[in-house]
Amino acid sequence: MKKRQKENILLVLVNLFFIVICFCVLVPVLYALSVSLNAENSLLSSNFSFLPEKLTFANYWAVFVDEPILLWLKNSLILAVITLAISLGTGIPAAYEFSRRRFPGRKAILKVLILLYAFPSLLSMTALYKLLTPLGLINTKSGLIIVYTGTMAVFALWNMKGYFDTIPTEIEEAAMIDGASPVQIVLRIVLPLAKPTIAVTAMMVLVYVWNEYIFAVNFMTGSDTYTLAAGLYSLQATEMSGSWPVFAAASIVVSIPILIVFFALQKNMTTGLTSGGVKG
Amino acid sequence: MKKIVAAFLTLTMALSLLTGCQQGKAEQTEDGVTEIVIWHDKEDEVAEILQKKLETLEPEIHVTLEKKSDLTESLKMVGNNPKAAPDMYFFAHDKIGVYAEMGILAPITDIIPKEDLKDYMTNTIEAATYKGEIYQLPVYYETLLFLYNRLYMKDDDVPATTEELYSYMQENTRGGHYGFVEQHSTPYYAAGWINGFGGTVLTADGTPQLDSQEVIEALQYHKKFVDLMPGETEYATVNTLFKEGMAHATIAGPWLIPTVRESGMDVGVAQMPVIDESGQQISPYMGVQGIHVLKNAAETKKDAVEKVLRAIMDPQLEIDLAKASGCAPALNSCYEMEEIQSDEIVMAMKETAEHAVPMPNVPEMDVMWTVMGNLLTDVNMSGKDVEESAQSAQKEAEQLISNMR
Amino acid sequence: MNKKKRRETLTAYGWSAPSLILILLIVVFPIVYTGYISLTNMNVYHWNDYEIIGLKNYKEALLVLDNGFITAFGVTVLWTVVNMVLQLVIAFILASLLNIKRLRLRNVYKTLLIFPWAMPGYVSILLWKTGMYNSQFGLLNQWLQKMGLEPVRWLNTNVLAFVSCTVVNLWLALPFMITIIDGALQSIEKSYYESAVLDGANWFERTWYITIPMIRPIIAPSVIITTFTTFKQFDVIYLLTQQVGAKTGANVHTILTYAYEKAFITNNYGYSSAVSMVIFVILIAFSTIMNRKSKEEQA
Repeated sequence: MKKRQKENILLVLVNLFFIVICFCVLVPVLYALSVSLNAENSLLSSNFSFLPEKLTFANYWAVFVDEPILLWLKNSLILAVITLAISLGTGIPAAYEFSRRRFPGRKAILKVLILLYAFPSLLSMTALYKLLTPLGLINTKSGLIIVYTGTMAVFALWNMKGYFDTIPTEIEEAAMIDGASPVQIVLRIVLPLAKPTIAVTAMMVLVYVWNEYIFAVNFMTGSDTYTLAAGLYSLQATEMSGSWPVFAAASIVVSIPILIVFFALQKNMTTGLTSGGVKG
Repeated sequence: MKKIVAAFLTLTMALSLLTGCQQGKAEQTEDGVTEIVIWHDKEDEVAEILQKKLETLEPEIHVTLEKKSDLTESLKMVGNNPKAAPDMYFFAHDKIGVYAEMGILAPITDIIPKEDLKDYMTNTIEAATYKGEIYQLPVYYETLLFLYNRLYMKDDDVPATTEELYSYMQENTRGGHYGFVEQHSTPYYAAGWINGFGGTVLTADGTPQLDSQEVIEALQYHKKFVDLMPGETEYATVNTLFKEGMAHATIAGPWLIPTVRESGMDVGVAQMPVIDESGQQISPYMGVQGIHVLKNAAETKKDAVEKVLRAIMDPQLEIDLAKASGCAPALNSCYEMEEIQSDEIVMAMKETAEHAVPMPNVPEMDVMWTVMGNLLTDVNMSGKDVEESAQSAQKEAEQLISNMR
Repeated sequence: MNKKKRRETLTAYGWSAPSLILILLIVVFPIVYTGYISLTNMNVYHWNDYEIIGLKNYKEALLVLDNGFITAFGVTVLWTVVNMVLQLVIAFILASLLNIKRLRLRNVYKTLLIFPWAMPGYVSILLWKTGMYNSQFGLLNQWLQKMGLEPVRWLNTNVLAFVSCTVVNLWLALPFMITIIDGALQSIEKSYYESAVLDGANWFERTWYITIPMIRPIIAPSVIITTFTTFKQFDVIYLLTQQVGAKTGANVHTILTYAYEKAFITNNYGYSSAVSMVIFVILIAFSTIMNRKSKEEQA
């Protein structure tokens, strides 16, 4: 009985702790939210309060009516879905092979891949432009998709390979003896066990595509080709133009689809395997 | 996870249907129609007026105005690729040197004879000229203005000299209020003080002059003003202080005026104060906005390009721009018209422009912004010795410029 | 046996090919291209007619490795270490607490905690810079003033600016780390703890002897990758303190912001490429040495 009580007190404390932490983390976001709901046109104000003095939804109205945000959303969605599909489609088999098979060049490739991360990519845009131009991929979604999948490929391979390594091979061996084909083994046994890492990789890819604007702005021309992030970038209030509240409203709007995906993916993070379940 | 992917796909498809009808409109090219693409980064008001004017060229010429963020970087990349590059672009004159050296710009005089440009204000043409060739057709120009809030600063209080400004600042900077604020450590703004001392940051042939006596004196003199200003130099802080009525006066661009008027301020525009030490006004940089023609378009679409340029040379267009967005016309003849003469802001810019210095347009200027920014921060914000900082900045600038080649 | 081995190798490469080809195109090609450009005089004056000029750019690039560069390198190492340690410790504590039994609102907390991840980076940095740190209007100073304290210029001095940048970087990076560690924690077999509790092990002992060794292999790849991205971090420091026209007075430079101001702004692609390659080599050398050291320590 006493132990239960102690646990309850602990639980209350932990809940309190998380409420405080979540508030602290969300301060900048709440700030943006408040700016976007405030009728006064100012990001900065000497008298800030989280509750806007004059509540208005005009800025959200402006985001949806004045800006072709549905078109941008469509562009972002197309890019995100296809990039995600290709990233996982190419990443999972590669990661699995690198995790399970021993073949010449394996270790070297893995090492080189991680070292590639050390390259400062400030200049790689020009190079990629030179690469995509002769292929006729500038100003096309396919070009962007290739850039995005390629950029995330190292992460996808490394991250999933690392997780596959921790999955005990005994289950697969047993299935092999039962006559399952390698593809069946991966689809039926490994993938369900690797859900958490696939979820994390998927999130990483989604967030990257969703928020990337440098390539989107430079490789695509015309506001009907903008992704959400690129559109947001073009809305960015500069010295001479732009309205902070509309920008803040747009930032919130852009973040919401990703948040929904986060929330939905949470479930998949919990049904992982238990590491060492067989090994131990 | 499958559900999410499925939901994503459905949403994507629904949206494709919704927006599908919009696609394909932009790329209709029938025979006989010349397509002209113009990149710009201007506010919507300006773009709308340009668009309207250029629509009069239909049906032979179809002009598309495309707003491009990061215009300068994109141009470097696509400049010589006819498939991806625009035919023209609308931007300030200060990148002319870079693009001319890169070989992607055609001189305007290849298309429009020089005599036809006689009506343009001399300093706008000067700004558009790089190595003897005119690369830009000016449309309007901008200079910084001295703005004051009539609630605090009466018209009679407006300082005529910098010492008057200084004593005003001493009296009024207290309790969260500032007598005067500006983006003191931002090169574009601080340049007005340096120019007003007769100094120059970069000569016309691309030699930095940061350690010249005039620059050092200007920085030393400017410092005492900075000490009475807030420690932030970026525009958001400075503009908000003015807008919220916490700063009585400021030096800012004309683009600030509509926003402060919207907030209900009675804003006055005055001449720049005269610097007591040098007897000259604070002389800010002038930026000339105009249209540039890419080499490829000048060669393949000469006739269409000429028609577009001729349309843009129409004085009425400049008057419309002035009325819509306070742009000061580059054509002299516009200033004889009542509509312009009655515009307080445009006329104030015209007066300031007489002392203003066109921003250097040589490629070397690209590195000077950073070096000068560092010098200003060192002096104004980190309190380093002016002379030493200026000398090391000069060395830095020379090093960087030699590295450009 | 040999034949089987060869077939196995072929299958492995076959399945990995799409991924590896993408990496070759998008990651390796730019590096090779940069290497090639570094040998040419591609700059504003020779934009289209550039030619190979040998190692001249490298001669000048090595001049970038002056005192300023060495300081910047030190700052970068410090930045990486501080950020990684804080990230791991904070993320571990939060993730452990999230895994406490009977915490019903777990998923709500998790989603809220990873909110920063959902915002585009430049938006977040802008929000922090103007909304939080601004010395006149920033929320932090408004709070300080309400408590009767003097306002602070958060980004003006080196140490404070470093701390402020670290806070923003943590804010941006923690969501990923929490997610990774949380996932790893959930994969640990609960029976280990039960037997440990029976053996009388306290919380610290359990964490030290069970939790950490168990999650280490799972989180290792993510941690390695994050270390590199932290090392290369440019946006946070540049946008908060060094942006042209909005400098704050602090002189915090990492090797990348330093190289940016010393080379990339010159529009000389040959020279900037050479500087990039030099930095690349330094980073590789550094990470190899570190790798070897950590292996020795383990052994």
